[in-house]
Amino acid sequence: MSAAAGGAVYAELVAMSHFSFLEGASSAQELILTALLLGHAGLGIADRNSVAGVVRAFAALRELGEGGSLPPLRQRIGSGPGEHVLVPPADGAAAEDMRALILERARCFRLVTGARLAFADGTPDIVAHARTRAGWGRLCRLLTRGNRRAPKGECHLGLDDLCADAGDLNLILRPGRSLARLDDTLGRLGEVAPGAVWLGASMPRRGDDRRRLALLMQAAKRSGTPLLATNDVLYARPEARDLQDVLTCIRAGVPITAAGRRLEANAERHLKTPAEMARLFADCPAAIAESLRFVETIDFSLDQLCYDYPDEPVPPGRSAQEWLAELTFRHAEARYPAGVPEKVSCLLRQELDLIGRLDYARYFLTIHDIVAVAREKGILCQGRGSAANSAVCYVLGITSVDPAAHDLLFARFISEERREPPDIDVDFEHERREEIIQHIYARYGRERAGLAATVIRYRPKSAIRDVGKALGLSADVTAALAGTQWGSWGSEITRAQVAQAGLDPDNPEIGRAVGLAQRLIGAPRHLSQHVGGFILTRGRLDDLVPIGNAAMAERTFIEWDKDDIDTLKLMKVDVLALGMLTCIRKAFDLMGRHLGRPMDLASVPWEDATVYDMLCRGDSIGVFQVESRAQINMLPRLRPREFYDLVIQVAIVRPGPIQGNMVHPYLRRRAGAEPVRFPSPAPEHGPADELHQVLHRTLGVPLFQEQAMRLAMVAATFSDIEANRLRRAMATFRHLGLIGQFEALMVSRMVARGYDRGFAQNCFEQIKGFGSYGFPESHAASFARLVYISAWLKCHHPAIFAAALLNAQPMGFYAPAQIVRDAREHGVAVHPVDINHSHWDNTLEPDGRGGLALRLGFRQAEGLWQEEADRLVAARRAGFDSVEALAVRAGLQGRTLRALADADAFTSLGLDRRTALWEVRRLPAGPPLPLFAAADAPELGAEPDACLPAMHPGEQVASDYQTLRLSLKAHPLAILRPHLDREGLLTCAAAVARPGNAFVRTAGVVLVRQRPGKGTAVFITLEDETGIANIVLWASQLDRFRRAVMGARLMEVAGRLEKSPEGVTHLMAARIIDRSDLLDRLWQAMPADAPGLDPAQRAWHPRDVRLLPRSRDFH
Amino acid sequence: MTLADARARVLRLAVAPIDDVADAALLRRLARAAERFTPLVGLDPPDGLILDVTGCAHLFGGEAALVQTARATMHRAGVSTRACLAATPAAARALVRFSRLGRVAAVDQAAAVAGLPVAALEMEPEVTQALLRAGLRDIGDLANRAPAVLAARFGAEIAEKLDALQGLQDNRITPLRRPPDCLAERHFAEPVGDMACIEAALQRLAGDVGGALERRGVGGRRFLVTLFRADGAVRRLTVETGEPCRDAAVILRLIRLKLGSLADPVDPGFGFDALRLSAGRLEPVTALATRLDAPPLADDSLSALIDRLGARFGREQVLRLCGYDSHDPDRADDSVPAQEAAEPPLMSAAPSGEPPLRPLTLFDPPHPIDALAEVPDGPPLRFRWRRVVHEVARAEGPERIAAEWWRAGPAAPTRDYYRVEDAAGRRFWLFRQGLYGSDPGLPRWFMHGLFA
Repeated sequence: MSAAAGGAVYAELVAMSHFSFLEGASSAQELILTALLLGHAGLGIADRNSVAGVVRAFAALRELGEGGSLPPLRQRIGSGPGEHVLVPPADGAAAEDMRALILERARCFRLVTGARLAFADGTPDIVAHARTRAGWGRLCRLLTRGNRRAPKGECHLGLDDLCADAGDLNLILRPGRSLARLDDTLGRLGEVAPGAVWLGASMPRRGDDRRRLALLMQAAKRSGTPLLATNDVLYARPEARDLQDVLTCIRAGVPITAAGRRLEANAERHLKTPAEMARLFADCPAAIAESLRFVETIDFSLDQLCYDYPDEPVPPGRSAQEWLAELTFRHAEARYPAGVPEKVSCLLRQELDLIGRLDYARYFLTIHDIVAVAREKGILCQGRGSAANSAVCYVLGITSVDPAAHDLLFARFISEERREPPDIDVDFEHERREEIIQHIYARYGRERAGLAATVIRYRPKSAIRDVGKALGLSADVTAALAGTQWGSWGSEITRAQVAQAGLDPDNPEIGRAVGLAQRLIGAPRHLSQHVGGFILTRGRLDDLVPIGNAAMAERTFIEWDKDDIDTLKLMKVDVLALGMLTCIRKAFDLMGRHLGRPMDLASVPWEDATVYDMLCRGDSIGVFQVESRAQINMLPRLRPREFYDLVIQVAIVRPGPIQGNMVHPYLRRRAGAEPVRFPSPAPEHGPADELHQVLHRTLGVPLFQEQAMRLAMVAATFSDIEANRLRRAMATFRHLGLIGQFEALMVSRMVARGYDRGFAQNCFEQIKGFGSYGFPESHAASFARLVYISAWLKCHHPAIFAAALLNAQPMGFYAPAQIVRDAREHGVAVHPVDINHSHWDNTLEPDGRGGLALRLGFRQAEGLWQEEADRLVAARRAGFDSVEALAVRAGLQGRTLRALADADAFTSLGLDRRTALWEVRRLPAGPPLPLFAAADAPELGAEPDACLPAMHPGEQVASDYQTLRLSLKAHPLAILRPHLDREGLLTCAAAVARPGNAFVRTAGVVLVRQRPGKGTAVFITLEDETGIANIVLWASQLDRFRRAVMGARLMEVAGRLEKSPEGVTHLMAARIIDRSDLLDRLWQAMPADAPGLDPAQRAWHPRDVRLLPRSRDFH
Repeated sequence: MTLADARARVLRLAVAPIDDVADAALLRRLARAAERFTPLVGLDPPDGLILDVTGCAHLFGGEAALVQTARATMHRAGVSTRACLAATPAAARALVRFSRLGRVAAVDQAAAVAGLPVAALEMEPEVTQALLRAGLRDIGDLANRAPAVLAARFGAEIAEKLDALQGLQDNRITPLRRPPDCLAERHFAEPVGDMACIEAALQRLAGDVGGALERRGVGGRRFLVTLFRADGAVRRLTVETGEPCRDAAVILRLIRLKLGSLADPVDPGFGFDALRLSAGRLEPVTALATRLDAPPLADDSLSALIDRLGARFGREQVLRLCGYDSHDPDRADDSVPAQEAAEPPLMSAAPSGEPPLRPLTLFDPPHPIDALAEVPDGPPLRFRWRRVVHEVARAEGPERIAAEWWRAGPAAPTRDYYRVEDAAGRRFWLFRQGLYGSDPGLPRWFMHGLFA
């Protein structure tokens, strides 16, 4: 069916990809591959008022030309580094056989890019393809204009907008059903774009095709416009008709049985062979030939989008490179007041040389510019990523990790051959990042700065929900199907999951819905803004890519996402938010205020042994990255003693190393239980220590993404391109037959170079195990720095650290109750919220022993607003002596006063919660009467003593948890202890202290509940007044105890203790009982149906749990 | 607890959405059944009924017996109940919902009320919470305190509610339905089981209602017959008319038709002890002074016919054709109950000046024909239908219509439709079933319709 065989030469120029959301049914990749296989000379991709999909097509064509097969699709699953999965293209395996044919055709295949302009003024659609680079710019500006005047996700255009500036565009008018105003439109287009207008005709099999074609031929002749054959493609192959129908239903929000003629009548809108197109257009062969002429007029390809970094940071008259060098050496002197060490200045010169060769200077200057603004505003920030590991970044203050001291050199992460854009993500304090974003918009202007997009794709849950609705399944069935998805990121819906939902997977309707949902997974649903990836340009950004409004006010974003930006090698700046930086900033402020010691990220003392001692004990609640249960368990095993150990610690508790089974070998080698050895190649093939160089820092076990690649490149001499293909193929080994190919290649090359076959095999196994989840070393280093700093703060200034953590909420892993408890266990005195002592934030007071005590702030109490708290503090003067004085002077009214009383904040007046509440409720709801206010006199008369019953301790604690989510008075289990004692339940501390293998019974409130990855075990952490107990429940037992495991707030566990040599103790659960009912006893005399403790509320994160800590649910 | 949460705990959780509409309907049904005890039945949504039984208890053998009978009636209807009889509606409501007494507490009502939790006041959750925080747990705790002290803190409302609960203030109920505008009733001394007697009684009732309507110058469009059976069951029949009506004979005839056509006939069981006929949806009727020689009004007779047929066979059985939105010509029409307002037909019409897209006559099923056509999808050149060979002079097409894949059963092949004209000028609608080369045995040709 090649061009020669059919005799016809044709290029389809009007095709929609699935970036015409809920209209096109095929990916750009599929369209390109299909067009190529059908023998088209080219393909024109034109999505509805968007160019969001064209980069994918461009990348696909390039891949086909280079490797003869499609790359796997990269789908991001989170915003962190390395958080993506690779999904193989649907027909990757089939393409394998035809590689040679594809390679040959891809080389002369022409991709035509543009957009299908859908007008709001009734004009029929016009497909606009860029003829030149200038035309592309005009198209982008046109779409930007339409986007900016419409709400997010819409584009409002009129024919006048197009006519205003239609140069350098090839326009294809797609006439609507009625041809009434065709001549007018053609005439008008002919004026604004002489010689660049085509009348698109298609043969959709509507019955009157030939008659209509004749009419169009006449119209074309009248206006002197050439007629162009197209098939107005919605999908690559006819089999996709059902999916396209479903998309139409989803878009229209109707079930398919009611969609009627909104659907296409037939399955004709697919890519057809040139021969078939020639047959359909037998009446007008010129229209077929015209498609080729059209392609030949196109002189634009996306690789012409050359990109310039802004000039702003460079003073006039200076070159960027010069200026960067000058800035670098100027700052170096400040960084090293004692004189720049020779080693450093040598390194700086090398790096500047490399930066100069790759022309990255303006990139570094732009980042420096942003960081400098942050510093001016007093916002903490830190860079990470490949380019961030440079001495230049260190001296410029972009990072605070000295790469020279830690062998994390820039050159290790930058490939000169690949010419990939440098990568620096900058984290800012999460509370103040918006200031930076608005600064960037202000400095560069909205036509030159925009956030990258994030493609929101169908996930199993959303796919089954939408498909179910479109197929008219009942809401119950759809919800049941969607509900079986444990996490939202699995990319398959299995039969087992369908059965688990209580539905029959063999039922044809269910089967059809699941099948369609399966095909829909991964299709884009809409565009959203990226969390912080900025594109800045020297010229106009809307000349490069259309800009649209985001849902958030004051935000605009471009139509391309991170991957598109990578494909086109545009440079972007990631401006991200990090809670820990807020915490550290607040801690530094407190240190300055209370200890007179100004601090910044670089001035924290390095390599303090007591900090490492603390971490080795697993004492890390609140510390960045290493505070989860898994990390806390790992700390005593890994026993970090120096900075690089923290880099490893950050990277090792991740799915990649865990699933790749690299954790235990590394720990064994570290403990000296296994020899660390590095096999060498035969002497004639290379240096004996080549592997030592790659792997010595991780004791011969590849733990980082970069190492896996280096291993293939060094030991098996993979070229850059081969290594790239290996990287892409890694995640898809399971699906495609690629595994054998790479395995043979790598093993044979290593054996040829003199390595032992067994070792080579083993290396490959490790790479394989890596999958797509690996943490990049270049990011781990910057994170490790924050681990160290937060650990240092916790170790030496626990009160300051706790106050800063609480003031930076929400962030981190734990609820305030655990943070406060941890602080008290570290000897910090904690004082309750009080109207005469507290501020909005948590504050520090001298504790009378020369140290600092933590005073809880009003922010910990429910129902108080900062503005009111500030008013209270401002009116406090020497202190309040009565409730009424507080109300009058601070101008506070009913709700606020009640919230203060609820929080038990009147103790300094001698009023407990109950009495205070009784007093406060009596105050009038409105502002004080002017007369009384003026006299500053009490408004209320005396009242007889209320004689309220005294509050017993259980009630106090339960109320504390209701209003503050923590209690300084007692742990709930301490109140319940007599009862538990009677039942013979041990405290957590006592249970854990029993010898290994002992059978124990204990109980505690549930802090954490996790089922990591595809884990075979469920991990539960219980807490009581004495400490915590780590419970492990095998997943096989889960069904038996599911209700208790998932539902309990207070849990009783019986089982055997298991102790590891490092002193980590687990209780292997044999029985789990939900004892949440005991919590109601805190209220004692209260009737059962009174609103005592709320029923368990759903909370996904430990720090969000309500009342009594419930835990992170499985996901 | 959220549903997702519940599902996480119990894998195979059976879930049914709350059907507020059905619940409300059930409650109203129960309320109607309770009308046998007193005409004053009030709804206490979402799940309660309040009966004002003042002066009714003796009919049922005393208060205790009345409660007993009422609960037994509800039990027979498949509903488990908690019931309480108290001096005021507010106290009854609170006792039945917030105590476990479940018995008549008329004598020591004050003590019973004092033992209720403060939640029984049904104040805002915030207020209830505040009362509990203050250590005040039951109504007794509150009753001892000065009302002013409470009102200063919790609003004047609390004093009112407290009074209502303690019976110091009496609020009457709002009955579910005001008596219908037009109603006639007949009570029998002894339960009547003979249908002839019942019809006779209905005739009287129809006359009463019709007379009442005429006096008011209105007619009813809905007539409701309520048959109270001696064992507590209530049977209700509704007949509706397209035009307002008050003619006793017409009403009775419609009721008779309805009675005669019931799928499950009225079962007198132990007999009926009361009958009620009421008229609803009242609309004015202008008496038409028609000339004696005037022709009958056609519209009237059609709607009267539809009414009669509907009453006799059920409204689902009398249908009217209309268009249906589908590409598939076999499915492009539909039918709706004729009593529903007719909508304009949704038929595909060709744009003016264009030949019609669809033929006037459609064969169901299409007739198989033999045809000669160019492959793969050329129009027929010649075809034989009913043993006559037609030479095609002109043809247009194909109009390709793919089957509706979402429908159950094996997918039908795609059809290519042609509008053709034979040498004699006759126009046909033909189709080829199946695309050339796609299925073995296909394509086959059919005649689907004739243009005028």
